[in-house]
Amino acid sequence: MTFDLVDKAAIAGIGYTAFSKNSGVSTLTLALRAIKAALDDAGLDPALVDGVGTHRVGDSVPTAVVAQALGVSDPRWFVDHFGGGGSSHSVVGQAALAVASGVADYVVCYRAINSRSEFRMGGTGRAPVEAIETQYQAPYGYVAPPQQYAMVAQAYMHRYGVTERHLGAVAMTERNYAALNDRAMLRTPFTYEEYLASRWVAEPFRLLDCCLETDAAIAVVICRAEAARDLCKPPVLIRAAAWGGGQMLFSNQQPAPGTSSAARMAPRLFRMAALTPADVDLAMLYDCFTVAVPLQLEDYGFCAKGEGGEFVLSGATAPGGSLPVNTHGGFLSEGYVHGWNHIAEAVSQLRGEAGERQVPGAQIALSTGAPGYVGGVSSALLLRRGT
Amino acid sequence: MTDKPLPTPDRDSAPYWDGVAAGELRLQRCTDCGAWRWPARTICNRCRSFAAEWVKASGLGTVLSWIRTHQLFIRSFQDDIPYVTVEVQLDEQDDIRLIGQMADPRLEPRIGQRVQAECTRDPALVVWRPID
Repeated sequence: MTFDLVDKAAIAGIGYTAFSKNSGVSTLTLALRAIKAALDDAGLDPALVDGVGTHRVGDSVPTAVVAQALGVSDPRWFVDHFGGGGSSHSVVGQAALAVASGVADYVVCYRAINSRSEFRMGGTGRAPVEAIETQYQAPYGYVAPPQQYAMVAQAYMHRYGVTERHLGAVAMTERNYAALNDRAMLRTPFTYEEYLASRWVAEPFRLLDCCLETDAAIAVVICRAEAARDLCKPPVLIRAAAWGGGQMLFSNQQPAPGTSSAARMAPRLFRMAALTPADVDLAMLYDCFTVAVPLQLEDYGFCAKGEGGEFVLSGATAPGGSLPVNTHGGFLSEGYVHGWNHIAEAVSQLRGEAGERQVPGAQIALSTGAPGYVGGVSSALLLRRGT
Repeated sequence: MTDKPLPTPDRDSAPYWDGVAAGELRLQRCTDCGAWRWPARTICNRCRSFAAEWVKASGLGTVLSWIRTHQLFIRSFQDDIPYVTVEVQLDEQDDIRLIGQMADPRLEPRIGQRVQAECTRDPALVVWRPID
C-alpha cells in the first residue's frame, strides 16, 4: 500500500506569540499575531492564504472570525474542530490532505488560548467543558485534567512498577532542556528532592508533574512541498499523519489500563511513513502530565511496554541521549499550547534553528497529540527535514 | 459547604439517575446480544441494536485506580480536600468503569479492592463500600 500524502505537503512557516500568564489580549489577537509571524517566517504574502484551521473546546475564537480578520473572505478549506490536545496534530494532518489534493494552496493552522487568564481547565474560572461524562463525574468532585490523568497514572504505575522516581526524571529532564530555551516560562533546573517536595495536586501527581497553564498562540503555514521550496525557509515535509482513537476513560471498549489510543495509531503512522521508531531522531511527546511521556515512549515503540520510565531514567531522552524528547522543555517547562509548541519545536529542530538545544543532524521528528484518554482520540505527525 | 454539582440527567441517562434515586444501580443491557452499555445511550456498541432494558446490576466491582485530590478544582469541595476518587470496574463486564467516591472519601483504597455500590440520598449518588 502506498499513501499519496507522504512528503507531498510541507510546513513552510511557524509563528509564536509570547508565552505568559496573562496576555492581556483576546484569543483573536493572539491568533492573528501568531499567524502573521508564521507568514513572515515563511515569507508568504497574506493575500495568498486560502485556508484556515484550528481546534478548540469553547475557549477560543472561531476560524471564520480569524479568516475574516485576515481578509480571507472565501476560504477554500477550513476546519474548526471541537477537541482538545488529542486533536492538535489532526488539524495539521487535515491541512496536509487539503493542500496535497489541491483543495487549497496556502493554509494557516493555529491554536490560540488564554488558558491561564481566561479559560482554565477544570472548573476554576469557568464551567467544565461540556462532555457526555460530566454528569457522571462532577458530582464526585472529578472534573479536571490532572485528576483524569492521575487516574490513568495510578493504574499504569501499579501495573508496570513505574514510580515517582520515573515521573520525577521526566520533569527534571524537560526542565534541563528549558534552561537552554529563551522562550521557556520555567528555566531553573531542580533536584529530585525538590520534585518530591513540590505540593500534591492530585496524587500521584505533584505540581511538577503538571503542565503550565499558558496564554499563547502558535501558527503554522502549510502548502505543497514544491511551493514551500519557493519560500524563505527550508521546508519541513509532512512524512506521515495519523488519526486514532478508542481509548476514552469513560466508555465501553476501553482496553486494559496503561495503554492508550496512541498504541493503536502508531503502527499506522509508521506504516504510512515507511519508517520505524529507530529512524526517529527526536520526539515531541504530548506531556500534559509527566506520565504521558513514558506511556508514549512505549506506545510509539521506542521501548517495551512498562519500560518507559526506565528509558527516561537512563538519560536516553536527555540532551545527547539516543532519543531527545521535548527539547524545548515541553508543556511542563516551556509552556502549554495544547500540542502546537511541539509541532513548532520539531520544525525548528529539523531546520537546524534550535540554538543551544539543537539536536545535531536531526532529520526525522515525531510530534504527538494527547494520547487519547480524555477526548478519546489522538493524532500525530512524522516530519522530515526537506531540501 | 453546599452547592456541589448535582447530576444533570439527559434524555438518555434519566433512567440511570432515576434508579440511583430509587436506591438501585441500574444499567442498560442490550436485549439482543446481552452486552452492558456505559454510559447510557440508545445503541449497542457491539451489535448496533437499539433494543435495551434497564437492569439492576449486582453493584459489585473492583477498584481499578484511585486518586487523592488536594487542589481545589470545584469551590464547593473546599471542606472535603483532600478527597479520594475511585475508578471501579463492575463485575458485569470489564469495560464498564465508573468514577465515584468511596463511602468514606478519606479512606485510601487499594487497586484490586472489592467494593459494593451504595446509593446515597440527598443528593442521590453512588458510593463504594469495601467488602474485603
